Amino acid sequence: MTAVQPSSARFAETREFLHEIRSRVASVVVGQDVVVERVLIALLTSGHLLLQGVPGLAKTLLVAAVSKTVDLAFARIQFTIDLLPSDIVGSEILDQKTHEFRTHKGPIFTNLLLADEINRAAPKVQSALLEAMQERRVTIGNQSYPLPAPFLVIATQNPVEQAGTFELPEAQLDRFMLLHRLEYLTPADEKEVLRRNAALGVRRDGKGAVARTEFDVLGEQASGSADRLVRAMEDVQQVHVSEAFLEHTVEIVNRTRRHPKLELGCSPRAGISLVKASRARALIHGRDYVLPEDLFALAEDVMLHRMRLGYEALAEGCTAPQVLQEILTESPR
Amino acid sequence: MKPGRGGALLLLASLALAAAPQSRDERSASVGMRSRIEQVVLAGSELVAAPTDHKAPVVLRVLAVWPHGEHHRYDLEWTGLVPGRHDLMQYLARKDGSPTTGLAPLPVTVTSVLPHGAMDPGEAKPVAPPRSLGYSALQIGVAVAWAIGLVLILFVGRRWRRPRVAAPVPPSLADRMRPLVEAVAGGEADAAAKAELERLLVAFWRARLGLRDRTAAAAVAAIRADAEAGALLRQVEAWLHQPTPPAALDLAALLQPYRTVAAADFEARSDVR
Repeated sequence: MTAVQPSSARFAETREFLHEIRSRVASVVVGQDVVVERVLIALLTSGHLLLQGVPGLAKTLLVAAVSKTVDLAFARIQFTIDLLPSDIVGSEILDQKTHEFRTHKGPIFTNLLLADEINRAAPKVQSALLEAMQERRVTIGNQSYPLPAPFLVIATQNPVEQAGTFELPEAQLDRFMLLHRLEYLTPADEKEVLRRNAALGVRRDGKGAVARTEFDVLGEQASGSADRLVRAMEDVQQVHVSEAFLEHTVEIVNRTRRHPKLELGCSPRAGISLVKASRARALIHGRDYVLPEDLFALAEDVMLHRMRLGYEALAEGCTAPQVLQEILTESPR
Repeated sequence: MKPGRGGALLLLASLALAAAPQSRDERSASVGMRSRIEQVVLAGSELVAAPTDHKAPVVLRVLAVWPHGEHHRYDLEWTGLVPGRHDLMQYLARKDGSPTTGLAPLPVTVTSVLPHGAMDPGEAKPVAPPRSLGYSALQIGVAVAWAIGLVLILFVGRRWRRPRVAAPVPPSLADRMRPLVEAVAGGEADAAAKAELERLLVAFWRARLGLRDRTAAAAVAAIRADAEAGALLRQVEAWLHQPTPPAALDLAALLQPYRTVAAADFEARSDVR
């Protein structure tokens, strides 16, 4: 795959921009470098990201930090069982003064949407959001409205407390380019979190005061702009993808389809996502070409949620990550 | 009697006769069918059904008894079980225990739809199968046969199933690597062959450096960090993946050590790590 290479000056500028975002987010969110990288990959490739992790791992803070750093509009929706599609996309309401219907746009009209605990909403609501993610436009009444660009959904789901939740089906999971599983912080990082939290102090508000949170540390000064982000997105498209890399990608995706322990292998969308995400990762790591290490680093986040273990593999106690590693490390045929 | 009054009495008597229930006198029935003989007057003291056993050809019940002067009037119900003529008097006895002598017979006929002798209820007797030995001997015999069968399956059967022809051995990684190296060094390899060679080189160093238990990403990172393997991998990556491969790269010299690679080279080396 050939690509027109960006000038070295522009490439260096993009590298600096991405490095700046990572540094700024890291000043607020401790020890989540990989997650920040995944959010940036999703931003640069217009893919959507599903974060899976227990509560309290700074998912909201992370997304808020990224949106403020890049100067993007940010909205957050807490998904609950009684949420309606109109609560997300908006609705037509009757204006009492003019006696005419006017459109009330929902919180989906933003650049960066955090869909918190997406698996708690009813399937109808999930479908409404996932349809908007796919088509990047919503219909309210008889009118269709395009969503702002860039538009990125970062959804979260809790791997525990599955009672009263609606698990996303495979077809809908496939819409998420990446599904990243958040881990607990290392003891050193957790200690740093506690140290920073202890030094937050109090914020005066009129005659009263409230204890400062990490959100207060974010500040209002953006270090980037939507224009710079767009230029970075254009640069991602210039990252070179070799024929050999495409061969590796097709081989790995095909191995999932013929693996005896897998009932469902990866879709072609997985291959597309692997290449797109690898290009963004290469740019973040200062390369203008992709390498197999990008493939290996992203395979788990791109492929795991697109694979389903067979009944016998489950009975044997196999896990999807184990099977994926078998596939990645399998000797060539 | 006045003619008008006599006519009225005659009419009443006719109506009374018409309204009176007709007594049943069923003297013949087929096997198993219930039949009744009603309002029959039998002389002497009261009669009851005589006790019988299950082999009795007729079952008799006394449904009702009324005094009839010095005698009694009965409603009887009978069921014939054996075809032929039977005397119901044989199945009656005096309630006071006195003999029933002097009573006229009360014959009934039981008919059958089956030909005579077709069935003989109660005659079937279980016939034991011929057995030369006792049940215990039979159990012992079965146990011995089972044990012999098990021994045959375990020892003789396994020997039979041993493959007589050895399964074809798949080519080793080294066997697959050598032609690819030759093709790449000769400039004849396509993209698929180059990609396979890269995967084989990673597999080779993964084995040599003892990284089999690491994830793919961690293994590649460790290979890149190794002095010998890292230098090779970076050069191969530059040749395969960079938009413009380095001009100074001598691919033939780079791949020279892998032209003579053997299967043992894919084993972990003790002097590494």
